[in-house]
Amino acid sequence: MQYTLLITGSPYQSKACHTALRFIKAATSKYPNCIKGVFFYEDAVLIGNQTAQPPRDEINIVKAWQEVAKQHDVPLYLCIAAAVRRGIISESESHRYELGQHTLAEQFQLEGLGTLVDLMNTTNKVIQFR
Amino acid sequence: MKRTLIHLNSGPYSSLACKEGLDLALVLATFEQPIDLCLSGAALSILTREQNPISEQGKNLHKLLDGLEFYDIENIFIEKDNNWTDKKNSWQGVTPLDKAQWQTMFSNYQQIFRF
Repeated sequence: MQYTLLITGSPYQSKACHTALRFIKAATSKYPNCIKGVFFYEDAVLIGNQTAQPPRDEINIVKAWQEVAKQHDVPLYLCIAAAVRRGIISESESHRYELGQHTLAEQFQLEGLGTLVDLMNTTNKVIQFR
Repeated sequence: MKRTLIHLNSGPYSSLACKEGLDLALVLATFEQPIDLCLSGAALSILTREQNPISEQGKNLHKLLDGLEFYDIENIFIEKDNNWTDKKNSWQGVTPLDKAQWQTMFSNYQQIFRF
């Protein structure tokens, strides 16, 4: 069984990203290849901000996701429209908008909602965290 | 093919949730996925006619409703007894369900996303 995770809750206004992270750790500890992809939508795209600097005595949720993605080879997709409107800009988008900087953290990639549709059609279940 | 329900529950002007939920519905429909909508709570205010939001308030999502049929989104469910809609001043393309039908509806879909 393969899952897609759809995360829509803000990393700062909800525990959606944290709960999904716990889920992915638990699931992959038993079934290593059970997560085909994680799609961040709405305010959840703020997870891909490389400039966020949490206090040192708190979890660095961006880094925690990067480590999980690397360890289990799970792609982390951010909805491109939702991300760009919130200032999460990849290098290529920064050229397109003629900006001098980009903010997308490593391990995350900007994709259209079509990628979510593809994930929905190629996995057994989609689980939303909001 | 999986049947998908998009459940809108947030007010159209309180956050982007409603708009981004509708965006997802339109994209799913564009990819020919079977998709229905249901509205509850503050999201029901999308149905009210003659909305004129200024740019600070957000986009007029009511204007999208007439275009849904062109995406083959034909089922837009609401609960019959709700405190939000005024029949005389509401968009008429919805299917009102009684309480039992409303509760059963959620079992008809393989996936439900809430916004």
